[in-house]
Amino acid sequence: MQRLTIGLALLIAAVPVHGQESESTPGSTPLFSPVTWERLVNAADEPENWLMYSGTLDSQHYSGLDQVHNRNVGELELKWAYQIPQLDRSETVPVVVDGVMFITEAPSNVVAVDAETGLQYWRYNHELPDDLRICCGRNNRGVAILGDTLYMSTLDAHLVAIDARSGNLLWNAETADHRAGYSKTAAPLIVKDQVVTGIAGGEFGIRGFVDSYDAASGDRAWRAWTIPGPDHPDNQTWAGDSWRTGGSASWITGSYDPDLDLVYWGTGNPGPDWNGDVRLGDNLYSDSALALNGTTGNMEWYFQFTPWDVHDWDAIQVPILADLEIDGEMRKLMMWANRNAFYYTLDRETGEFLVGKPFAKQTWAEGLDSNGRPIRAPNKLPTPEGNIVSPPVGGGTNWFSPAYSPRTELFYVQAYDGEDIFYKRDEDYVEGDQFTGGGSQRPLPIENYQSAIRAIDPRTGDIRWEYEIQPRSTAGIMTTAGDLVFSGSVDGFFYALDAVSGEELWHINLGRRIHTAPMSYSVNGKQHVTVAAGNVVYTFALNE
Amino acid sequence: MPMRSLWTITATALLASLCLITTPAAPRAQELNAHEFTTPLDIRMGERLFQQQCGRCHGIDAGGGELGPDLTSGYRTVSTDAGLFDIIRNGLPNSQMIGISRASTDQSVWMVVSYLNSLNETPDVNLPGNATNGEQLFAGKGNCSSCHMVNGQGGRRGQDLSRVGERRDPDELRSDLQNPDEEVPPRWWTLRVTRQDGSVVQGLRMGEDTFSMRIMDADENLWSFAKDSVQSYERITASTMPATGRTLTSSELDDLIAYLYSLRREES
Repeated sequence: MQRLTIGLALLIAAVPVHGQESESTPGSTPLFSPVTWERLVNAADEPENWLMYSGTLDSQHYSGLDQVHNRNVGELELKWAYQIPQLDRSETVPVVVDGVMFITEAPSNVVAVDAETGLQYWRYNHELPDDLRICCGRNNRGVAILGDTLYMSTLDAHLVAIDARSGNLLWNAETADHRAGYSKTAAPLIVKDQVVTGIAGGEFGIRGFVDSYDAASGDRAWRAWTIPGPDHPDNQTWAGDSWRTGGSASWITGSYDPDLDLVYWGTGNPGPDWNGDVRLGDNLYSDSALALNGTTGNMEWYFQFTPWDVHDWDAIQVPILADLEIDGEMRKLMMWANRNAFYYTLDRETGEFLVGKPFAKQTWAEGLDSNGRPIRAPNKLPTPEGNIVSPPVGGGTNWFSPAYSPRTELFYVQAYDGEDIFYKRDEDYVEGDQFTGGGSQRPLPIENYQSAIRAIDPRTGDIRWEYEIQPRSTAGIMTTAGDLVFSGSVDGFFYALDAVSGEELWHINLGRRIHTAPMSYSVNGKQHVTVAAGNVVYTFALNE
Repeated sequence: MPMRSLWTITATALLASLCLITTPAAPRAQELNAHEFTTPLDIRMGERLFQQQCGRCHGIDAGGGELGPDLTSGYRTVSTDAGLFDIIRNGLPNSQMIGISRASTDQSVWMVVSYLNSLNETPDVNLPGNATNGEQLFAGKGNCSSCHMVNGQGGRRGQDLSRVGERRDPDELRSDLQNPDEEVPPRWWTLRVTRQDGSVVQGLRMGEDTFSMRIMDADENLWSFAKDSVQSYERITASTMPATGRTLTSSELDDLIAYLYSLRREES
């Protein structure tokens, strides 16, 4: 490990200078102040900033800004655009701290720009080997920040620490061997003085884990395996040695509850993806929500959405945390619309299953039992000849962020009503090669299927309203205190809906696919809304 | 120069020399344009590797997927086997198309090339029809040219058929002509739009999204509508093409198929 340790502790101890005065004159105060753990815990109190991937530790993807609201959103206009020099479609959700925006780029780079103009301060290009093993594009979804330091995952399965003021590399930790199929694409999550981070590679027969690293030194503090070893009874849920190559990656950012000191993280599909014959059993803890102790990494509880998954339906969704009254009792909840097309509300203290209903077209299960375990429909497994099942491989939803509004108390998800033909193949594991055991194909042209934003009541799982997207969408969602829902579509539309009614209020054609979630921040008292489309980051604000 | 740097350079040079002596020169992709890995077994091995390494993006049968384009109807960026090999091996710079696993040998990459080529080959078949007669039917009795262009001549209300022989085999062409409603691509659906004043505009669905529609009417006029500005709209998924094949004699149908199947990119 390359380590250029800095006195991060000193920076954390420094007197915090919170977000700049909203009415300050441009240029009158210096930009950027260190981001303490207290600021991250209370991120909702400084809505002018977007301090982490999902905005706040509860991952509601909700902006407390209301300058843009459901009566003036039609006056939004483009303020600036930042062109990423790589052609890959961007999956970044920028972080904004006191007027400085941090944008990650393919393959594993980051730039700092002025959040008011989009003009660059610095750039960090991560050097990558030429023998990467990645399944699904050269993606990077964002950074985490603590003190003066950014933390970023890289495609060669490293975690790097970068000086937020200069872009200089501070330390560079290898988390796993990229030659064995490990890679990293998700934004890390800061938990106290630690950097919690997952791993990708579920299509390469890896053994997944969630790691925590000391933010100052880059030393690993703990590792929670997402597949238990042979010394644990749950290892028996994997036939033979299949646990060694069982996947269960952890490739999207989790959430954290400071009161419970619990980190919540989703896990991916068991491997090989489509041939479950070689890994009979429930395959714990694949396709699960994990609750890990934030200090030790010990697992407090798990909830498996799809036991013995054979359709590649990762539980790689951002866990949304909120407290709501259910049956007269305040409950600490976790909301989760899963790739398997079912929506779940869980008690996040205990993992107890409370609510579960389909939110997108599904043909694989007859329902959920009283514990939330799916009741499988017959004849819905992949076959050598192919078998049509809903949802498709991409799922009823996927990794892109859902959102929650504490004002409407609704959960918003990008749903997809599709299907795929699922095939099963025999395949031997070879280290570093893809290990999927089959594949899929759409039975009809993609125009035959469509997406919808669905607003779900987390108390019942009922769909309150839906807004159809033609042809479809793979975009995340942001809600705001202005009672708006922002999202996008594969054909490049960026739009705003009324969060209460689902009515469309504004849209603009940005020309290329929106494959990430919007975010919002404020500079000099002006609210901005940012989203990446194709390989360009666009920022909007109200007309002067 | 520090001793460490000198040692590094010396060691590297020695290692490079050793490699030159002991490693047989690998054939360059360009030199293997006419490569040897084209047997049925090679193609099957190539298919297997494709499904494992490429199918996730391009679809298990190479018909296109969420990330990768359809590879069964020609290639977007290459025209030679060497070029195809190079893209599979090394990827496309600055794009999501990454090279195949380094663990895959050049030999196995050539097998993938052969597999993909097998999907793009049109079989060399003896057709009963006469293509010259078919060309006359295309413009005459069949009335195909009123809607379809071939090499810049003809109508606009149907697909350009200048290279239809590369993407449809004779059986598919027969089905297209006899049962045009059986498989209608969404581009050739019809949108029937009722405006606020009750008037109707109907035409081919050139584009549609959440907010708008673009169509071409029967007079080849182009129209664009915002969905929230019209009273209603309806998608008609049936084909606008008549079942021409049913109005022709059996031998005329054979002739027309022979003509259509002959329509390919001209050899340069």
